[in-house]
This record gives sequence, structure tokens and C-alpha cells, in this order.
Amino acid sequence: MIVKKIIEKIEGEAEVKYSFKNGAINDATINFANNRGIEEILKNRPPRDSLVITPRVCGICNHAHLIAAVKALEDGLKKNKIDFELTNKAKDIRDFTLFCELIQNHIKWLYLTIYPELFKLLNLKLNDSYALKASYVTNTITKAMAIFSGQWPHSSYAVIGGVSCDPTFIDIMQATSLIDEVITFFEKVLLGLDLEEYLEINSITNLDKLKGDFSEILYLIGKNNLATIGKSYDRFITLSDSKISKKSKVIITTKSDIELKFVKEHMQQNSQSKAVTYKNRFYETGPLARAMSIKEPIIKSMHKKYKDSLITRVYARVHEAVKLIKLAKDILVNLNINQDSCVIDSKIKLGDIEGIGTVEASRGSLIHKIKTKRCLIESYQIIVPTQWNLSNSLNEQRGVAIKAMIGLKDINKASLVFKSFDVCSVCTVK
Amino acid sequence: MKKLNLVWFQLITCNGNSHSFFNNNDFFSIIKKFNLIYYPLLETQYSYDELLTKNLNCDILIIEGAYKNGFEKFGYKIDEILLNYANKAKYIITAGTCATYGGIFKENDPNNISGFIFDKEQKTKRFDKFKNRVISIPGCPIHPKWLGFVLQMISQNKKIILDEFKRPKELFAYTVHNGCIRNEYFEWKVDTKGFGHKEGCMFYEQGCQGPYTHGSCNKILWNEISSKTITGTPCFGCTEPTFPKKRLFFTKTSMGIPKEVPLGVSKRAYLTLTGVAKSFKIKRLESKLIKDDS
Repeated sequence: MIVKKIIEKIEGEAEVKYSFKNGAINDATINFANNRGIEEILKNRPPRDSLVITPRVCGICNHAHLIAAVKALEDGLKKNKIDFELTNKAKDIRDFTLFCELIQNHIKWLYLTIYPELFKLLNLKLNDSYALKASYVTNTITKAMAIFSGQWPHSSYAVIGGVSCDPTFIDIMQATSLIDEVITFFEKVLLGLDLEEYLEINSITNLDKLKGDFSEILYLIGKNNLATIGKSYDRFITLSDSKISKKSKVIITTKSDIELKFVKEHMQQNSQSKAVTYKNRFYETGPLARAMSIKEPIIKSMHKKYKDSLITRVYARVHEAVKLIKLAKDILVNLNINQDSCVIDSKIKLGDIEGIGTVEASRGSLIHKIKTKRCLIESYQIIVPTQWNLSNSLNEQRGVAIKAMIGLKDINKASLVFKSFDVCSVCTVK
Repeated sequence: MKKLNLVWFQLITCNGNSHSFFNNNDFFSIIKKFNLIYYPLLETQYSYDELLTKNLNCDILIIEGAYKNGFEKFGYKIDEILLNYANKAKYIITAGTCATYGGIFKENDPNNISGFIFDKEQKTKRFDKFKNRVISIPGCPIHPKWLGFVLQMISQNKKIILDEFKRPKELFAYTVHNGCIRNEYFEWKVDTKGFGHKEGCMFYEQGCQGPYTHGSCNKILWNEISSKTITGTPCFGCTEPTFPKKRLFFTKTSMGIPKEVPLGVSKRAYLTLTGVAKSFKIKRLESKLIKDDS
């Protein structure tokens, strides 16, 4: 039996066709509609235009696209033996704005996607405050970000060699106050305990300390026997080094190095998106993969008991938001505003370059590849995290999310598992 | 008074306008004034399936994304469904540059993709039928406050004065240049000399389109706190029918001055003024704004 369902509120929509056998899902195909052709639009444009065009891939993670695009251009210059190093100030500001965007994403996912989906599944009444909470955090964090980036969504403030802004101490103070507001929200509403106290939790035996919305979600998942559903291959990939990740793959708990040349895209039938593999195998990417790549103690502890299940995935994403707010605050405290914001001449030639930019976006690792010829873009390739997690089956091998849904009897449970990956259908049909 | 039914309908889009509008700190007090039938980020009365298959009530139609003839999604004829809602709506708001003029996604298929009643500067075949009901709010993405203001004016039954592109004049009679904190450098033609500086204007070399771009980005700030030009990024003219132009970080010049001059100013006037301004060297504007002299 085949059951078709449109899954919405995932940054656009996807159509999933579930195959049932003996009352349980035994396969599925995922269809993302309407490709928008961003990679084609970029062709024959001057390379710098990518800093304006690529954020428009996605309304919710546009900033990650900007950072990937600028890194690809910088990588291309470095490969052409142009030697430069960004100042710590520029690196820190880029990290700060990126972290703000990640927090925005994670919080929207928690309150606008997971809360409603879980409450629907459990037939519980959801009051309106969930959306108010998402709105408060989103507004506050994007305001802090805009002090540097000028606006969110769709800023182009990261330029070759640094950032366009040159903040004053008063700017930093304003941003710090806004970050403190979000920390207060996390402490009072999300965690029910102090940030530092939360970050000391390194084993699931201490999770009883948690209160607030996070504990409510975990309690509901546990109480309703949902904790162990949603297991996939237990294989993770992270494509870049950052304050929250180590470039590597992790299979169960064994970590090893990777090379980007083994990442490959594959055309898929009946979908506008391409599948992506590493050495022809599917891997999960995202906050859980990142936490596994740096052996984050609480996630390791969770993974030991629950493997790559729904509860581990949910925990990893919320946990990452908390870690990021602390990192964002630390950046502001230590920011040296006396350094240069940008170290490269704004007219530097981008004649024949070939570069790759990778960045940790909210849903996982993001890759931009650029090739230019005579100062125009010859080709541009974007591989987004959702392609990793939401690929269809390939050569008998099932996609990561599809594998996670197999065996479930209830479509609403499958939908919750699907959404636990934090899908972005908009990015996927770039 | 009965609340108007509000439908948010997406075409070819990045979702940036839905997210931008959600960035209103008075988001909930604005939408409370309406009966929210469908909005992509929130749990609303109806599902996406129902939006496409049922003939729901619609007094205000907000269109996000570019229009494509024969646009289909999951087997649904999206353009026909949209027209059904548009036929019923008392107000049609084209939210963002894609819905208004075609925007970035038009570039992928210029012959078939456009805005709802405008195709860049031209009128589409839908113009005559819908011209008296459309309000254009271009911007890539839409400015959250601009849409918030327009919705509140509708809820209060206020007259909204529109220009030739159906843009509210209270928002688009201004240029992005108005209120820019770099105006003093513009007046004396002092370039910013690259990126990462508090000083200088980006109109002369870095491609800033602020002086001829319609929009109140520097009057009504982004995220209530800043704007591109304040933070040293050029304006890319994202509210204009011509967005996105090519060579966005570069100013085309003619006779040493920007080829495209400030809105409504003749080339001759601008050239004369530039010559005079450039003949003076203002020491204060050539030095760092903040120096620690202690």
C-alpha cells in the first residue's frame, strides 16, 4: 500500500510517498518540488555577485550561504598563491553572526516545528505561547546579528578578506545586552537552570536537573515511547572545523579523517533535489554529527544509551543552541575592535580561480564550489545539508531519513522523525 | 468589525519574506487584527493541503515569490489556485521583489517568470484586472515593518497612497540614501576606500545604489537597529524592478562620476556639483572618525 503525504512547515514542503507492508513502513520516497536554478543564475556573473545572490538560496539560513560563498572565493585566491590571513576580529565577527543565525534556526525548529508536531501526535493541546517564544528569541538574536551584518535575512556583509563593518564599543555593548536577553530566556524558559550549571551536565544521569521547556519535550518523548524511534545508520559526517565541529566522519563511535573529493552528488528520479554521498555511502549531518565529531560528553552519553535515535537528535540540536549562545557571548567579551576588519583590497581580481567554501549551517555541513574564468563565474555548485539527510534510496541503499522511518506503523510518528532532521526543502531545491 | 481573512500564498521563493515578516517585534499584535487562514511558519486554521484543495475565505492575499505560467507543485496547478484567491481578495499584497517584479528567480527563466502584475518595469497581462487591488512592497527580502504598517493601515481602513508601481508612497517616496549615516561623505564625494571602515561613501566605487533606490531602509531600520549602508555594505538596489543587476560591488562611471546619478537629479547638475565638492579637501572627512588622542 502506498500513502502520499505533503509534509509542511519544514521550510517549504516535501511530498513523501510511504510504502507499507504488513502495517509498517518498509520504504519511502521524498520529493522536493520546484528547482529555482540558483547555480545557473550565477553563471557568467562576476564572482563577487555570489555574495548577494547565494544568500537568496534560503530565507532561514541565508547567512550560512553567505559565509560559504565568501570562503569559496577566499579559498580560490589562496590557491592562486595570494597570501593573506583574516584578522581575529573579522573571524570572530563572522563566527558571531553565524552563531546567531544557527540559534535562530534551532529555536524556530524547536518551537515552530517539534512542539506542534509532538503535541499533535500526542493529542495534547498546544497553547499559543510556543510561537511567542520563537518570535522573542528570533527577534532578539537577529537584532544582535544585524548590528554587524546590517540586516537579517539576506545580508552580504562578509566580503573577501573580512567583514564590511567596523563596530564601536557601543555596538558591542548593545549586542551583548541582546545576547544576555537570550541567555535569560534560555535560563528561565528553556532550561530552568543557569547556563553554566546546564553546561556542566555531562551525563544522562544528571538530566533530572533540567526543567523548563527542554525537559518537557524530553519527558514527553520518553513517556510516550518515542525515545528510541528514528534510528538510522549511526554514521555521521562533518565537513568543516569550527568551534562546534571537527572535520571527520564517525561510524558508530569510530572517528576518521575525510577528504572533500569523495563527496559526490547523484541525480534522483522524481525529485528536484540531488542525493549526496561520501564514498558512495549515506551519512547523517547536523548538530548530532557535529557533537559526535568533537565527542561532546553529554551527547556521547546520550548516544551510548539511545544511539542515533529521535531523542538523541532532538537533544543534540537544543544542546547546540545553548552551547552557541555561550560561545557568542564569549566572542563579544573578547572581541578586539582595534584590528582591521578587512585585509584585502576591494578591487582584487578574481580572474581564474577555483575555490571551495565549507561552513557549519544549522542543519549540517554546507559546501559552495566556485570556478571562474576571465573574471566571470563558469560554474557554481552548492551542496546543502538536507541533501545528505533527506536523500532518496540509491543502489539499494536507503537515504538516512528514510531508514530512520522504516518499521514505523504510524505516519504521524514518521512525520516527527522526518522533522527531527530539521529539513529545509527550500535549500534543497536551490 | 469583522476581521478580514488573510492568506499568505507562496510561489517561487526562498521563504525569506515569511521569515523577515516574523521578525516584527509586534508580529502578534499585527496578525491579531486578522483572521489568519494560512501562514507558512505557524500552525494556522488550515493546512497546506487545504489551502490548495479547498476554496478558503480570502480578503487579503499576500503573495510571496515569483509568478510562473503553468507553475505546478506536487501535481497541483499552483498558478490557477493563486488566481482563484486573487479573484476573491479585496487587497493583494505582493510581498518582496520576486512577487512584485520577478526578482532573482526570474533570471533562471526570464520568459516565463515575472512578478504578479509587473515583469520588471513592464506590466503583465494580469495588470488591468488586478491593478486597483494590488499593493506592491518590493525588497529582497521584504522589510518586516513595511508590511506590518501596510497591514495595519488596511485594518484601520486608511487610504494608502500609491505610486506608478503600486508602492506605498509613505515607504517608497524616500531613497535608501535618505538617512544614511555616510551622507556627509556623499556630500563631499569622499570614497570609503575598500571595506571595513566607518568612514566614506560607497556610491563612487563600491557599487552602492542607495541614492537612486526607492525604499526607507535608513529611515525605518532593519531589525530595528541597522542597515546595509550603516554597516559598510553597499545598497544593491534590491527594491527595484532591475534587481539583481550585474557587477553588484562595482560602480560604473562616466567622466569620473557614477553613471547612474541620484534619483531625479540631472547629470549636468550632478557633474557640476561633484566638480565643486571635489575641489575642496575637507581634512576631517579624510581622517579617521574616532582616534584615541589621549
